[in-house]
Order: sequence, then C-alpha cells, then structure tokens
Amino acid sequence: MSLRKALIYMAMVVVAFLFVAPLWWAILSSFRPNDAIFRDLFPFTPNALLPEPFSLDAYVAIFQRGFGSIIANTLLVAGLTTALGLVVNALAGYAFALFEFPGKSAVLGVVVVSFMLPFEAIAMPLYSVVSQLGWIDHVAALVVPSVANGLAVFLFYQFFREVPKDYYEAARLEGAGWLRILWSVYVPLSLPTCISAGLMLFIFQWEAFLWPLLAMPAQQFKVIQVGMAAFQDQYTTAWNQLFGAAVITALIPMLLLIPLQRYYVQGLAGSGIKG
Amino acid sequence: MNRSPIALLVLTLAPALLGLAIFRAYPIGLALYESLYTTIAGERTFVGIENYVDLLTDAGFWKSLRVTLWFNLIINPLQVALALALALMFVQKLPGMAVFRLLFLIPIGISLPVAVIIWRIVLLPEGFLNGALGLVGLGPYRFLTSPDFALYSIIGIATWKGISYWMIFLVGGLQNIPPEINEAARLEGASAWQRLWLVTLPLLRPTLLFVLVADITINFLLFAPVFMLTGGGPRGSTNVLMYEAYKSGFVFGDMGRAMAIVVCLVAMLLVIVAIQFRLLSSAPPKEAR
Repeated sequence: MSLRKALIYMAMVVVAFLFVAPLWWAILSSFRPNDAIFRDLFPFTPNALLPEPFSLDAYVAIFQRGFGSIIANTLLVAGLTTALGLVVNALAGYAFALFEFPGKSAVLGVVVVSFMLPFEAIAMPLYSVVSQLGWIDHVAALVVPSVANGLAVFLFYQFFREVPKDYYEAARLEGAGWLRILWSVYVPLSLPTCISAGLMLFIFQWEAFLWPLLAMPAQQFKVIQVGMAAFQDQYTTAWNQLFGAAVITALIPMLLLIPLQRYYVQGLAGSGIKG
Repeated sequence: MNRSPIALLVLTLAPALLGLAIFRAYPIGLALYESLYTTIAGERTFVGIENYVDLLTDAGFWKSLRVTLWFNLIINPLQVALALALALMFVQKLPGMAVFRLLFLIPIGISLPVAVIIWRIVLLPEGFLNGALGLVGLGPYRFLTSPDFALYSIIGIATWKGISYWMIFLVGGLQNIPPEINEAARLEGASAWQRLWLVTLPLLRPTLLFVLVADITINFLLFAPVFMLTGGGPRGSTNVLMYEAYKSGFVFGDMGRAMAIVVCLVAMLLVIVAIQFRLLSSAPPKEAR
C-alpha cells in the first residue's frame, strides 16, 4: 500500500515538474537580460533556474513596442463579447426553457450541434461572410460572430429549465412582465451559470488566434495572441521579450481562472457530461 | 405559460439564432458554394467539382492528408490516455493533493500560442531541454527544424497544453461513479488494477468517448503551432490540411481550393460528430440531476 502511494507521488511529481519547469524557465528568463538567457545551460547548473542576473529590460521594451494597446484591444473585444453574449444567450436559454413552440427540440438540437463544431472549422468561409458584410479589419468582425454561442445558450437553458415553474407562475399572477421575471427572478438565481458562460466567452476571445489572423489582415488593431505571434516574427531573437509577452498573455486569464476555476470547471462539465 | 406570444419568442430567440445562422451555418453553405468556383485574375468562374477532382490528383493534398491522419492517429490516443492517467491521480485522496491539483490545472490557463512561444525557446538547440538532456549526455537535438522531430515536437507541445483540459471532463466522469461500487469490488478482493479495468473504465466509457471525439475535432483543425513554428515544414513534415487550406486561400489566393479542403475537413468532422451522437445516445443515461 505504501509502495503504491510512493509510486503515485513519484508520478505526480514528474507530471508537476513537466508542467511547471518550462513555465518557470520562461518566467525567470523574462527577468534576465537577453544575452543571459542561455547561460548556465551548457553545462547545466542549478543557476539556470534562478532569475540571475535580474533585469526588467524585457518588460520595459515590450510596453515601449505597444504591447499595452494590444492588451487594451483584447480586453475590449473580450469584454464586449462577454457582455453581449451573456444577454443574447441568456435570452435564448430563457425562451427554450420556458416557452413551447413548434419545432423547439429540432432548433435546440441544431444549437447543440453548433457548439460541437469548433470555430476553426468555419473560420475560412466565415472570412467570406464577414467580407460580404464589409467588416474586414473592423472590430465588429472579431466581436459579432462570437456573441451567439451554442454552449452558452445550452448552459442557460439547462439552468433555467430546473427553476421551479411556480416561481414563474407566481410572478405572472402578481402581474410581472416576462422581462421583469427574467431580471428579478431568474438572473439572480443563475449567477453561477452567468459566471461559467461569461468565463467561457471571455477565455474564448482571449485565446482566439486563427480568426483574428484572418479577419484583421491590416493588423492595425491587434489582439493579443496574434500580436504575440507577430512579435515572435519581428523580434525573433529577443528571447527575454518573447518570454515577457508570453507571461503577460498567460497572466491575465489566470487572474480570472484561479479564483473562478470552480465555475469554469462546472461549465465544461455541463457541456461534456450532459451534452 | 398559458400563452407564448410570438413577438416575445422572436425577441428572445432571434439574436442568438440569427447569430448562429449567419456565423455558423451560413459559412458552411458558403464553403460548399465557393468550392465550386475558381478565381482567375479576380474573375470568379463556375467550375463545378473541378476543385475536388484536382485535389484527388494533387500529390500535395495527399501528402498533407497523410500528415493529418498520422498526426491524429498519434496525438488523440496519447492525449486521452495521458488525460486519463492525470484524472486518476487528480481524484486521489492523499496529503498534499491540493497543491498537485492546482499544478495540474495550470496549462488550462495558458493559450496554445503562449505554449508555442515558450516551447519554441525551450526546444532550441541551445535551449533548456537540450541543456537538461546534456546532463545525461544526450543531444543537442534540432527538435523543430529536423523533419524527423518537428511533427512530434508539435504533438508534444499540444499534448502538454491539452491534457489538463481533457482531464477535467474525465475527473467529472470519475466523480460520478458511486464510490460504493469500487468499495464492493475491493471487498470482493479485486486488486487496484482489476478495479480500474473491470469497474472504473467501463463506467467511464461515455465520458471517454466524448473526450476522444471532442479531442479529435480539435486536433483535426489544429493550426496555431504549425503556423507559428514550422510553416508546414521542414519538407512538408508538419503540413496538416488546415494549414494547407490556409496557404491555398490566404497566401496563394486560391479560395476555391481552400474551400474544397475545408469542405473535406468539415465532412470528416461531421462524420465524427455523428458517430459521437450515436455512441453517446446508446450509452446508459447518467446523472439525472
């Protein structure tokens, strides 16, 4: 029994090391001057795992090269998508949960299928759609196509369906309109679902790569993943700055995910197990 | 709920359904339509199925399809197996698990492009991994510029980033298995290994199938690492279909060919989603929460 435990601990330490080591090296290297990145590796010394010599040059240079506005752009796109997406998808989930109409289960089925097919599958033809709309190189091209989200609709539908119908009936009897009922009865109950769906929408936009690459060919308005890739092309050997950009890009969603991981996991689990 | 006014239905449903129709369904139709056209010097002409016929006789397409299938044949079983191992560790109840659980979740917060940038430098001939391998007298290797290694390096990076995400689903599945079943098997004298194969895995089947199919969908369409690391090279060894389609349409301006490739990819994926629905709906219903 204790041998088994020892083996499990060993395996966990190995995995944790594989997950953490590259990140740790990236973080500490972002605090080194560029000419010291590969020092201490050949031959390998433990010093390779310390930010020494220490320098903030990388971060200063990144922000001088406009990384700040790239972060602001991405926050704008992700924030707008999240806000609009919560309203649009919660409304649809509410309608699916509360109203009966012909063809409902078929429409709901299509919504479910739509989130099984990843965005990448349609990114290239979506380019044609968005250029027909004249949105290429406009922020709308990044925000609008991502607002309606089958997974978010489904999460809200699942939650609202479980709310006792008595609540709705009682509010109706008191003369409340459907919007009042949604806002003052359903939304306060569904706060965890709102957080799950909101996180999903936000992270989706924060991590978007292929679509912004196609939709914003002029690169006047850069979002973070594409901006980072362009940075890599432009400053191929500015290792410490590349690491710094990567650290910042990872840090922002981490700040949301670490305190809210429970909701994110619940949202994912909802999509998988019941989907 | 005695009446559902049409206006109310339209108001609540229209924004989401319109969005899905215009930005999810219509592009699929448009891809089909545009794959029947070719663009020569800015003039679009109808060519019927010629783009598809051309693909069949195009050695580049077949090579790319082979790379895509080989890539998926390796990465998907690998990711699901490792995610399962990770999930089995995650649900252990041992002292210090909270720390390990947090560490296991770290790659979820890291986007694929971030993982790619970090690993590109880690994998350089003068980088961290070769330095560490040097400790035991190996290397240095050209992980990203050698045709023998590049595809496997991409598999490694995508796996490093991906397995925590799939682990979450499997942890959910594991936690839905009533502990009494495992306890009963243990009292019957089943070893830990037997319990895994005879009790846990059969009960986990629906979740495993979901993860496998969802993982295939993602990996069939993997793009960022190829775009950022290798550009399909060296010598076409990492030129997956998704990247081939991108090059056709957005580098060489041959939208017809790009769309034909996309249609082939989506067709393969729809088959996979259909299989997923069949397998999942035949699975015993779980969790009537």
